[in-house]
Formats: sequence, structure tokens, C-alpha cells
Amino acid sequence: MSSLPEINVIELLELGVVRIHNRKPGGSASIELKRPPPPASNSGSRLDVIEGRAPDKPMAATPERADKMTAPILEIRNLHARIEEREILKGVNLIIPPGKVHAIMGRNGSGKSTLSYVLAGKEDYEITEGEVLLNGQNLLEMDPSERAAAGLFQAFQYPIEIPGVATMTFLKAAMNAQRKARGEVEMSTPDFMRAVKIAGTDLQIDTGMLKRPLNVGFSGGEKKRAEVLQMALLQPKMCILDETDSGLDIDALQVVSKSINALRSVGRSMLMITHYQRLLNHIVPDVVHVFSDGKIVESGDKDLALQLEAKGYADFDGAAA
Amino acid sequence: MADYDHIPMLKENIDRATVDSVLSLDVDKYKYGFETDIESDMAPKGLSEDTIRFISAKKNEPEWMLEWRLEAYKRFLTLTEPTWAKVHYPQIDLQDMYYYAAPKSTPAPTSLDEVDPALLAMYDKLGIPLKEREILAGVERPNVAVDAVIDSVSVVTTFREELAKVGIIFCSISEAIREYPKMIKKYLSSVVPVSDNYYATLNSAVFTDGSFVYIPKGVRCPMELSTYFRINEKKTGQFERTLIIAEADSYVSYLEGCTAPMRAESQLHAAVVELVAMENAEIKYSTVQNWYPGDKDGKGGIYNFVTKRGDCRGANSKISWTQVETGSAITWKYPSCILRGDRSRGEFYSIAISNGYQQVDSGTKMIHLGKNTSSRIISKGIAAGFSDNTYRGQVSAHARAKNARNFTQCDSLLIGDKCGAHTVPYIEGRNGSVIFEHEATTSKISDDQMFYCQQRGLNEEEAVALIVNGFVRDVLQHLPMEFMVETQKLIAISLEGSVG
Amino acid sequence: MTVAGLPTRRVESYHYTDLKTLLRVVPPLAKAASQASAPALRVAGAFQLMIANGAIQSSTAAPAGVIVGHAKGSVLSKRDDVLVHLNGAFAKDCLTLTLEGNVDPVIQIDHCTEGDAAHVVDSLKIFVADNASAVILETFSGSDTAHIGNHASYLALGKNAIVTHIMVNLSAKATTHFATNEYALVAGAKLRTLTIHAGAALSRSQVFARFAGEGAHADFTGLNLVEDGQHNDITIDIRHGAAHTTSQEMYKQIARGRSKAVFQGKIVVERDAQKVDAKMMMQGLMLSDQAEIFSKPELEIYADDVVCGHGSTCGKLDEDSIFYLMSRGISKVEAEIMLVRGFIAEVLDPIEGEALNEALNSVVDGWLQGV
Repeated sequence: MSSLPEINVIELLELGVVRIHNRKPGGSASIELKRPPPPASNSGSRLDVIEGRAPDKPMAATPERADKMTAPILEIRNLHARIEEREILKGVNLIIPPGKVHAIMGRNGSGKSTLSYVLAGKEDYEITEGEVLLNGQNLLEMDPSERAAAGLFQAFQYPIEIPGVATMTFLKAAMNAQRKARGEVEMSTPDFMRAVKIAGTDLQIDTGMLKRPLNVGFSGGEKKRAEVLQMALLQPKMCILDETDSGLDIDALQVVSKSINALRSVGRSMLMITHYQRLLNHIVPDVVHVFSDGKIVESGDKDLALQLEAKGYADFDGAAA
Repeated sequence: MADYDHIPMLKENIDRATVDSVLSLDVDKYKYGFETDIESDMAPKGLSEDTIRFISAKKNEPEWMLEWRLEAYKRFLTLTEPTWAKVHYPQIDLQDMYYYAAPKSTPAPTSLDEVDPALLAMYDKLGIPLKEREILAGVERPNVAVDAVIDSVSVVTTFREELAKVGIIFCSISEAIREYPKMIKKYLSSVVPVSDNYYATLNSAVFTDGSFVYIPKGVRCPMELSTYFRINEKKTGQFERTLIIAEADSYVSYLEGCTAPMRAESQLHAAVVELVAMENAEIKYSTVQNWYPGDKDGKGGIYNFVTKRGDCRGANSKISWTQVETGSAITWKYPSCILRGDRSRGEFYSIAISNGYQQVDSGTKMIHLGKNTSSRIISKGIAAGFSDNTYRGQVSAHARAKNARNFTQCDSLLIGDKCGAHTVPYIEGRNGSVIFEHEATTSKISDDQMFYCQQRGLNEEEAVALIVNGFVRDVLQHLPMEFMVETQKLIAISLEGSVG
Repeated sequence: MTVAGLPTRRVESYHYTDLKTLLRVVPPLAKAASQASAPALRVAGAFQLMIANGAIQSSTAAPAGVIVGHAKGSVLSKRDDVLVHLNGAFAKDCLTLTLEGNVDPVIQIDHCTEGDAAHVVDSLKIFVADNASAVILETFSGSDTAHIGNHASYLALGKNAIVTHIMVNLSAKATTHFATNEYALVAGAKLRTLTIHAGAALSRSQVFARFAGEGAHADFTGLNLVEDGQHNDITIDIRHGAAHTTSQEMYKQIARGRSKAVFQGKIVVERDAQKVDAKMMMQGLMLSDQAEIFSKPELEIYADDVVCGHGSTCGKLDEDSIFYLMSRGISKVEAEIMLVRGFIAEVLDPIEGEALNEALNSVVDGWLQGV
């Protein structure tokens, strides 16, 4: 299939092919930049003093510390969300500074995947309370494509199959849509091909795979590698990796984690959502959080993951109550 | 016997009980083909206003009911027989049959003790549990309340008192017309209008008996209700009428069985069944239709032209049709659901087997009117011999039926190269929010499966019965327990002579 | 002239296209076009033939393997169908093509109807010799008045012949478009058809095909694009009359605005046509709330050792897919267009030849942009 045609939004709107969505011209221009409240020196869990969990309530400002801190990439404050009548997120607080890799661990049904969908902007969930800032911009006011253009990337646990759309076509459309939204020039086809080739090599993705329809008939490992390829190409500032290790055998896990590690940089933060400790041996997090009953109940360094693996989640259930 | 636990190919679909029941078959050709010598009271031959007056008078019907019938008759005279179904048969001479035949008896029996012993013996032979007290004493299987209709009249209805304790009315429709005229006036023909189609209109004019069920609000019927229909007399048409009303929050499961003697001439059976489900109510209606299919050359057999329709009138209501169609020379039958209430649900599970010169044109209609309604259709057609077996089904979502959902699976199996299997779905999405999925397949029994079964010691017919029982399993499991084993045997009997 | 004897919805094969209601007036038979016509599609390197207002125009020299001729009389087999009857009654001049060897350029036949409302009847007969191959493209277009076009074609494929036959209906908004295509396939013949409806107020295209020799295969495909005020009907009747024949039917219908898309597809396997493999699929996509999609896929099977099936789906664009694309930075508008194009790809992609593929994609692009 040839590449996407020039799209005249207005004409399509008039024809009723598409519905209006509240896209604001200029993207983030209208959104007020917020200064992160600095963390308290000695309250909450032991990790608050380092970084990580935001306190439940705003704290008194301590300018000396705040000046030393770098502004966080992602800031979640008291986030509550529900689907239909059921509350799933019950007050999530989380701060991720630039360049840091955080991991959220929790048992199935604890709400950790819901958190990733809420951050990416899936419509099924209703946000009842709280706020989320990405680089100081109000994330919750943006539609999913605006969030992506602002630098948020979610690697899905179950990537969607899109029949009839070649992976390559999709990649180019996504890349240029983001560049356009950010006011950057579109990438030329040769530049794009070069970028794909470079990113694909480490992930063992050949052009044959890129000609196939997006995710259609891909094996579990291929799907996950394709997700990481997108991440490498789109160069997001904040990556959410939802159960990236599921469906991967040990060889594929090494390929994928090697690529993810290569993407770690000062300007890019990551949030890994996982059920098992296994992934964390390959991508070592700076901070580990335990998620239970819709919120973070414990935070610590990478050793916390090992404790969890040894003892299970039962020890932390009480904390959620 | 071979070790069936290690059949890799069939294990998924076939359980031990099936295998055993197939192997233990008492294979007589049509075991309900006997005729019972019961003295009958009959209407004059032919269709006329006089016949209708005769029927109405015999039933001691009120004047309004006679008027209703005569009105229907007037309508009927303006209609012509439909021709769209894939069935062929000689012109039915409506003047050459009887519209009323009743076993002669002195005043209606008030208890089973007063029922003609010959009748009881006949039901024994049919395997129908009419003997209330025995069942009550035995307690080894769940109770089933039975309304038995022979030719044109209901001869006995069991368990009435017990049902009355929870406010359930279960009686013959003739009785209901006399005893509950308000309800009859309100609901009769409210689902199948008098002029709905040729056969329904004819039925409205001359229907003789059938069952009436009323389940009050909030009541879950404590036992299965069932009606057994039997055509006994020669040259007699059976025109039964059944009406089931399930008030809000109620539940009822209703079974229907039919048999007829073997006769060289064809007989007409044109029934109308109406179901009404109010808010949150659920009606489960199961049929095992085993009318006489005609002989091996296609002579005789019942012409089964039936209109069955359920109205999911209330929100969240549910109507589920399950049918096993093995009998009749011609079957023309489309049990349908009108999904009027928001979030209402309709289901249709069907096994239709045709052999010899049988012709089946059967299916369903799911008419989505309310919002968020859903329906599911699973149809298994098996054609053998010289038969034609057609699935005809309509799924329609109207403009207001937002988010209507349907899933349809229609599978046909051909046994032999002289039969035909056909699928004719009408899928109509009239608004942009519907999601319809329809799938149909046609195939034959694989030679590998046959060979495997035969290698394990089954003869050809047994192997076919076994494989077919696996093929229809998705539908079988929707039948009440009482019908399941019987149905598995019936399938084997129906397919006799289909191979070799 | 008012019309009598048109089928109503009670006629089974016109159940969803009630011509008695839809077709009130039939304009007078077309006169010779007074102005020059331009084809609706340009395919680089194609050999072009023009039928203007039903009259065959002279063409440039035919390429190797193509013999252009004329004939009289009806091209279609007798059958009880009103469009077939009407075409037989009014068709005067019939264009014939005899194709031998591998015909290299695309053979493009443009049916153009210009001027005032007219009833245009034309017919086409194509013989494809044994082992020959060709790609045939027909387009339908013209002025925006209440024309009725009734077009017929008969295409016979010789042994092992390979043919692609594409029909693109780009008739103007006020018109009525009828087309009946009959195919006969003998042993080893391979056929691919593609019907694209992207025009006319009322359309019905009929395909009648019969497999008469073992080993023949055909792909029947179509794209029914309907928008506000349109009613487009695709009706196909595929008969497997010989053993070891295979067919695949793949039709996509997309409806937007207040419109109706109809698909009726029948596969018949005749007695003794054993080992037939036939699979039919209709997928409907609704892009507006007032869109209506009807589907009647039928199987009529008289041989037992066959593998036949059909599927029919109807729905709107998948919300999860839109979300996935948006999460990669693609706007909702682009995401929806991308999904629609993906939905269509399955029927367009198998058409070989860059110039042809580009031309067909431009038809889809045109529809997507509503030009």
C-alpha cells in the first residue's frame, strides 16, 4: 500500500467520515506549566527522601531542596479512576525524575495495568480525582495522540492487530504525525528508512516483518519487539512498559531488554509494569514500587523486588487496607 | 468395546454416555408409529364457518372467541400459501381433512384415575410420565408437569395443584379461554398477529387445543412444564395454540414433544406458539419434534408448518429456543425473538436432521428493536438420503436498536451425495452501531473419522451416529437433561439407512 | 415512459433492492453523444476503447493478441431476471474482443454517458483463448443527469486462461447503474474480478458465473462504497458445475451518511461436483449512524465431498485499534482513515501492475476525501 494521502481534516469532518475531537491547535501552548512541589524530608515511606512516591498531601515548600531537584518527567497526584461503577485506582502518587527507571510490581488485578491505560488516555476509564503532569503539562486534558506527541509512549501488553496496514506505513505515519504536532519538519523517506534499519538491527527485525500488516500474525515475541522498535523510533521522554516480558522466551527477553537498556538516557524515564521479578534482572530499575488494591503501598530500591519474589505479595496486602 | 478414552479426534466432542447410548440402540424404524384405538368424536370433514362454529361450540367458548375465529377465517380466505421456502409438496386439500377429533369420553376427567386406561397406556408407550402419584412417590427424577394433547384436545394436565400453590397457571388453552378471558384477550395474538401468515391465520380460525402457562411476578417455576402432542386420528389436522406469559422477574422452562402414527397420507400440523417475557423474565422453550417423517419412498408424513415467536417485551428479558427437528415430511418453522426490551436477549439452538425424502426449511428470526440487545444462533443441519435441509434465518437491527449484537454459527453436514444442504441468512443492519458476526460451513463426515471409528469396532451406522452426536453437541447441551439422552437416541434412529 | 413489471421486494433476488419503488421513471433511449467524452480513470499504457452513450467508438490500433469486433444480439444467457431481459431487448451493437496469447497492456473500456438523461444499453462479449492472459478494466462515468445505464458483459475463459476483470462504477450522483456480468470458466481457467462501486444514486451489479471444467479457480471481489443518498447492490451467483473447482469471494462494504449497501452472494455446488472448495466473505463497515448494510450470503450444496463456507460481519471501526494508533501520535482522523484503508487493502492489493493499482487507489482516495 502506498503511504498515507494528505489529509484535509475539515473536508473529512464535513463529510461525516470522522468525528470532531478536541484537538487544540498549538498543542501544549495553552497549558500552564506547573512547578513540582518538593518532597518532604522525612515522612511517608523510606523512599520519599530519595525520590519516587509523592506525598499524599501537598507539603510545605522547602526551596533549598527543590532547587537541587530536577523537575520530574511524570508526576501523578492522588489519582482515582473507575470503570463503570468499580473504582480501580484509589489514590496513586508517583514522581519519576528524568532519566530514572521505575518499576511497579503487583499481583494480577491490583490495578497496575489500569494505571498504564489511564496514563495513555483510554476512554473506558473515568478519572474521578487527582492529576497527572507530563513535563509539567496536564496529561489528562490531552487525547491519546496529543499525549504521544508530548512524549508519552506505552508499550502494550497486548499490541493490537491492524489488518491491511503495513507496519512500515504505520511507523512512518506515526513518526511524522508526532513531528507535525510538535511543529517539526516531516522526515524524508530515505532518512526514515535509515532510522528504521538502525533501530531494527538490534531487535532482529528485518524488512520482511515490516512489510507485513501491523502485528497481524506476529508471534508474541515479534509483537513485543515491534513495540520496542516503535519506542526506539519515536524517541519518547516517558515510556510505560506494560508486562513487556510476558510471552517472551529467554532469548527474546535478552534481545528486547538489551534494546530497552540502550534507550535509557538522561532525558528519558521509564515505568515498567510487571508481575514477575524476572524482567528486573535484565532492566535494573532505580526504584521499585509495590502496587496493591489500586495504589502504591511500598517503595524501595531494586532489592525490594527480590524480597517480593521471595515472600510474595501477601506481606503488603495489609498496607493497602 | 474399544477404548474410547484414547480417541484423539473425537474426544473433544463425544462423551462415553453418547457412545454407550448409540451402541445400545434399539433400532426400530419409527417407534412411535403405532396407532391407538380410541373412540373419537369428530367434526364434519372440511373447512368452513360451520366447522369453526362446531369447534367453538365443542370447546364451550364464549361468543367473543367465536367472533375472533370467524374474523380470522375471513382473513384467511384472502391469503395465499407462501412459496419462498425451499420445500415442494402437492397442493394440500384443506377440504379433505378433519379439523376436530377428540377422544370420546364422558365429562372431562378431574383426576388421572378417570382417564381412559387406553389413553394412559398410549402415553406409557410414548414414555411420557403422566402418572403423577408414581412420580411423586418415586422421587428418583425431577418432576415434570405435563399437558397431554391428543389430536384436538388436551386430555390431562398434571401437577396443577402444586403449581397453583405458587400462583402458576398451567392448563389447556381451551380452559384458559373459559376461565381467564381477560388474559387471553390481552395476550392472544399479541405476538403473532392473526394475519401474520397463511398458516398462522388458518390456525387462528381453527385451533383446537394447546397449553396455557402464566408465571406470576417474581416466581421461578419449580419444575419443568411440558406438553406432548400426538396426532392419532386419520385425515386429521392438528392446530394447536400455545401461550406462555412470564411476568417480571420470573422463570420457566417448557418442553414440547410430538409424535404421530405412520400413515400413507400426509397430515397437516399448523401450530402457533406465542411467548411473552416481561422485565427480567426468562423463558426457555425446548422442542423435540418427532412427527412421522413418511416412509422410505417419501409417502405420508406430517406437514409441519409452525409459527413460533417470543416477545422479549420487558427490559433484560430473555427467550431461548432449543429445537431438535428429526420428524415430519416437511418442516417449515422459524422460532423467533422480538427483542423489544432494552438489553433483552434471544437465543436459538437448533438441530435439524433430514433423511429419506424429508424437507426441512427452518431457522429463526432475531428482530432487534431495543437498545443493547443481543442474540445468538447456533444451528446444526444434517442432511442424508434424498433430503433437503435448509437453514433460513433473519437477523435484523432496526434504526433505534443501538449496539445490537448477534453471533450466528450455522453448520451443515452432508451424508451421501443425493441430498442437499443450504444456508440462507438475511443479515440486516439498519444503524451504524451494530456488530453482527455470521459464519457458516458445509462439509461431510471425514473419511478419516469414519475409518477410525470402524477400526474401533463400530459399524458404519453407529459411527455416523457417534460423529453426528459430536457435531451437534453445542446444541445438545442446551437441552434439559430429560431430553438429552432421548435426543441422542433419536438422532441415531433418524439417520438409519443413511449410509451403505 | 413509466415502468411496469419491475420486481418488488417480494421477488427474492430483489428483496433489498425494490426496483418498483426505486425506479420510477425510465428516460428515453440514448442518442449519439453530442460532445466528446473523457474516461474517468487513466491507466498509463492501457489500450483504450470507448463506448459513448451506448455507441462503440473507433479506437486506435489494437495491440498484439487483441481482435476488436462487433456483433448483434444479446450476450447473456437466458435467465429470469429483469435486467437481463431489458438488456437483451434494447442492446443493439455489441462490442466483441477476442484475446490470444499474453495481452500486455491493460484493456480499458470506458462507458461514458453524456448529455441529457438517457437510457443507455450496451453489451460486451469477450473470448479469451486457451492459455491466453489479459487484464480488462471497465469504467462507467458521465454527466450528472438521471441516466440509466444497463450494461452487460459475457466473458468466456478458455483452458488455462488467466484473466483479471475490473469494473469501476464512477457514475455521477444522479444516475442509475446496472451491470450484469456473466462468466464461463473451463478447465484450468483462472479469473479474478473486482467490482468497485463509488458512484450513482442507485446501483446493482450482478455476477453470474459457472465453472464448467475441472481445476478452474476464481476470486470474486468487490468494494461497495456508499454515501449519503446512495443505494448500491452487489448480487453474485457462483455455480460450481464441475469437480475440483475452487472459488473465493471477498466483498467489502463501507457505508456513510444515510445510505444502503446490499450484498447478496450465492454459492451453488451442483450434484456430482465433488471436491469443490468455495469460501465467501462479506465484511461491512459502518461509518455513520444512519448507514444500513444488508447481507445475504447463501450456500446451496448438492454434493457431499466439499468444503464450503461463508462469513458475514458488520460493525464499526474498532475502538481499541483507534486508541492504539492514537497512542502512537496519530490523530483520530488519520487513525480512522488508516483503518479504513487497511480494511480495503485485502481486495485492492492483489491487483497487479503499478499503474493500475495506483489508479484504483486513487478511486478509493477520492471516495475517502469525498471529492
